[in-house]
Amino acid sequence: MRRTCLVLVVLILCAAAVFAGGKREEGVTTLTIAGRDGAFGTAMDLATQEYTRQNPNVRFEILKLSGAELMEQTVIELRGGTGAFDVLLVDDPFLPRIQDAGWLVNLDDLYREQGLEIDPDLVENMVNVGRYPYPSGDLYALPHVGNVALFAYRHDIASRYGYSAIDTWSDVLDIARRIDAEGDDTVPVLFRGVQGNPIVTGFLPIFWAFGADILVDGKPAFDTPEALAAVEFFLELAEYAPAGVTAYQATQVRDALLSGAGAMAIEVWPGWIGDLENPEQSDVVGKVSIAAHPGQVKGSSSMIGAWMVGIPRDSRNIDAAFDFIQYLTSAPVQEMMADKTGIPPTRHSVHHIPRLQEKYPWYPAQLAGQISGSVRPRTDYWPQIETVFGDYLQRALVGEVSAQEALQQIQRRVTEVLR
Amino acid sequence: MRNTDRLAHNAFFYAIFAPALIIILFLTTYPIGTILRDSFYEYDFIRGTRFFVGFDNYRHIIGEELFQRSFQNTVIFTFAASFLEVFLGVLIAFLLYGEFRGKRAASLVIIFPMIISTMVICAIWQIFYHYEIGLFNYLLGLVGAGPVGWLTDRQMALFSVILVDIWQWTPFAFLIIQAGMGSIPRELFEAARIDGARSSQIAFRITLPILSGQILLVLMLRTLDTFRLFDKVYALTGGGPANSTQTLSFFIYREGFSFFNFGRASAASVITLFFVAFLALFYVRKLLREDD
Amino acid sequence: MYRFRFYLQRALFWIALVAFLVIIVAPIYWMVITSLKNPREVISPIPTLFPHAPTLQNYGNVFSAGIWRNFYNTVVVAVSSTATAIVLAFLASYALVRFRFPLKINRLFLIWVLVVRILPPIVLAVPLFTVFNQVRLINTLAGLIIAFQIYTLPYSIWIIYGFLKSLPLEFEEAAMIDGASPGRILICIVAPLVRTGVIATSIFSLILAWNEFLFALLFVRTPRLLTLPVVISRYIGEYSTQWGELMAIGLMASLPILIFSNLVYRQLTQGFSMSLK
Repeated sequence: MRRTCLVLVVLILCAAAVFAGGKREEGVTTLTIAGRDGAFGTAMDLATQEYTRQNPNVRFEILKLSGAELMEQTVIELRGGTGAFDVLLVDDPFLPRIQDAGWLVNLDDLYREQGLEIDPDLVENMVNVGRYPYPSGDLYALPHVGNVALFAYRHDIASRYGYSAIDTWSDVLDIARRIDAEGDDTVPVLFRGVQGNPIVTGFLPIFWAFGADILVDGKPAFDTPEALAAVEFFLELAEYAPAGVTAYQATQVRDALLSGAGAMAIEVWPGWIGDLENPEQSDVVGKVSIAAHPGQVKGSSSMIGAWMVGIPRDSRNIDAAFDFIQYLTSAPVQEMMADKTGIPPTRHSVHHIPRLQEKYPWYPAQLAGQISGSVRPRTDYWPQIETVFGDYLQRALVGEVSAQEALQQIQRRVTEVLR
Repeated sequence: MRNTDRLAHNAFFYAIFAPALIIILFLTTYPIGTILRDSFYEYDFIRGTRFFVGFDNYRHIIGEELFQRSFQNTVIFTFAASFLEVFLGVLIAFLLYGEFRGKRAASLVIIFPMIISTMVICAIWQIFYHYEIGLFNYLLGLVGAGPVGWLTDRQMALFSVILVDIWQWTPFAFLIIQAGMGSIPRELFEAARIDGARSSQIAFRITLPILSGQILLVLMLRTLDTFRLFDKVYALTGGGPANSTQTLSFFIYREGFSFFNFGRASAASVITLFFVAFLALFYVRKLLREDD
Repeated sequence: MYRFRFYLQRALFWIALVAFLVIIVAPIYWMVITSLKNPREVISPIPTLFPHAPTLQNYGNVFSAGIWRNFYNTVVVAVSSTATAIVLAFLASYALVRFRFPLKINRLFLIWVLVVRILPPIVLAVPLFTVFNQVRLINTLAGLIIAFQIYTLPYSIWIIYGFLKSLPLEFEEAAMIDGASPGRILICIVAPLVRTGVIATSIFSLILAWNEFLFALLFVRTPRLLTLPVVISRYIGEYSTQWGELMAIGLMASLPILIFSNLVYRQLTQGFSMSLK
């Protein structure tokens, strides 16, 4: 008897919950944000709570997804034309692909309609990332997270070998050699070695510094002497990376840096290292310098990896969403998000706030990177190029092919992809 | 009268079969139809453009080195994992046969791995496999053996992924086999013993043949599941190093959701489908033998 | 001599058992201690076997993130989809065992349900999304319950089919002669006979539904409706993994199933004893 009752109760609860969908309140607009997880998600929570306090009739539903999940869900929903999303976060290399299908609202039109101007305090180079075609077309997204790839090194270790700053990749190699020769426990160099996107973004700063480029006039340019020099240098430097580097993702790089196990990281993103100066999370407070990348034959050119925020065309709340994304990219909100969650702002003024500069000493480098940094090639086929590039780079790294062979294969296959 | 009886009888069976049939058809017809159709098109999912290309997708995919490698890895993974899981499951079930103190607790501990979410499992094993600070290399260091690149050595990585799957799913095989063994009447063993049979003879001549149905069922279910291997590769190696852990599911995922090339993704799915349907048919024939 | 062999056998038995248990328990032990460590100790380059400063903070963090609602959703979805699968599978398998449909439908159906399991779920997800969207099942728990049938239904059909096939016809024939209707026979005679098998199947089905990730991710977008696996995955970020919290929530999420398995363990082992022979 008791058991029967229990079963009944469970069934009734189930039935009640199964058919309870989203309820709607009168006069309340609910904006659905397709966003990111981690610190980005926390930042979005804070911003939306504050916004709702100021505008009580606007509520939010925030999806917190990983990069890959966000891409899947964006494509499925926007292709389906469900109108479910009102605000969409877009990784910058993916933006041309999305706008190619015409999925986002033209923000230039909205600005014009409402008699507004784009705030010049937003770093212009970052705003242009949201233009399609890049860099001078119409505006489809605003810069939300100002990520630029940076270089991290332990200045206490570097100064031991007489370096007060690291200017070239040769310096990096020299320090790595000397750390290694000393038989120190510290791992000289860290980077992401996992196949695909991670290893490519890890390597690009070197690639560019050696004067190489991915596409020249829309044609692949992997068979150049510059590219060869870059890959050969990379392989030489990788000798001083952890033996398990091909399984290193951002988590492993970050953990090794924060625990003091690594001396230099080829590529870190401000979003990873917000806790660097937080003694509860980090063993290296005050010991790590975050700077722009070293140069080599060319000066350093930082890689922009911004997260942009746009409005899907099928949204039923375009005006409310537009008001919110302006709020989201406003100075006070960026300051608050940077302060509490460490996500990098995209405004000149926020970078100059002394309190934040103290907390995140890399702000000048970050701002410089935003102002002059370059974006990855704007092509519909970037995912394919990245995949091929990453595959063969990793094969070269594990010694399956030589640098020369890898580049020849990449050149051949990328040419095929673009055809 | 008899005719209406017959009709009612038939109607009853149609009625109780219908709900499951409807759900299955609802869930499968449209998706599988779509996949079949798309496999003949060059179909960019984002743009929504579609060109009929006949068998081109199939031809190109089959000729690709990456696809062949993925196929090969998947087959190795499937057979190694499912056979080892069933083998170990049988072994543990034999070990736990009979009564002893703590049997219930031991059985519960043994099924624990399959209850934990796969993502958490991968996270733990990733720490264990870590080249520099992982548990396994630490233990190997204690006995003086060199560190092993569990996830970073091309020869090792697939094996490491298999190991995780075995850890997670051997309990499943164990449970079904254990239950099957419980059904064998004790008198059978006693009679055999009186006839002077050795333990090994009992195991091979009596127990295993009786269990063949369960073993086959577990093998089939594990084969189908391991063939879809995706999440572990995604979490542990990303398909690397140097493609040594690429699988078919991963290949399909990449074509579909990195490149949005749904035509090729569909064609690769259809190839997978036919191959596995062939495998499944083999098991099903054996399992349903008594029907005809 | 005989005594010696006896002790040797005992010793080998315990050694083997302990070895298996250690292999199984080691990762779980790791989960437990990691869930008790503070973030700095977790990433320490020299792993520690005991937490130096045990803390329940990770559990606190997980709870304060509000997992009760997700927990409730998971229970609802897992229980409902298991119940649906079991009822439908029981009815359908009975029909398949006792009735020969025309056109070889019996065999075709049994193979067809397997085919669904073969495809990578992501391949099915896109077209299914279209269908579900048209019938307004997206973003509802009811939609998830139906989508989960892709996994739970074939599984249940195959296992219950095995049980029913091994059932002798006599009971049903006797009831038929007494004039019982087919529906009555099914509920009063057949169901009790395969009760244990059904319970066993339900455990596996429950585990599958409890841990399903992909459809739970793609078909539900309102945070209030998310299930636990999706929440768990949030602790594995691309940039950093919150190891302590991840292990804490992973452990807590598996406890209900463990308790349930413990409760029905006796039925579970008996349950399979009748299958497929």
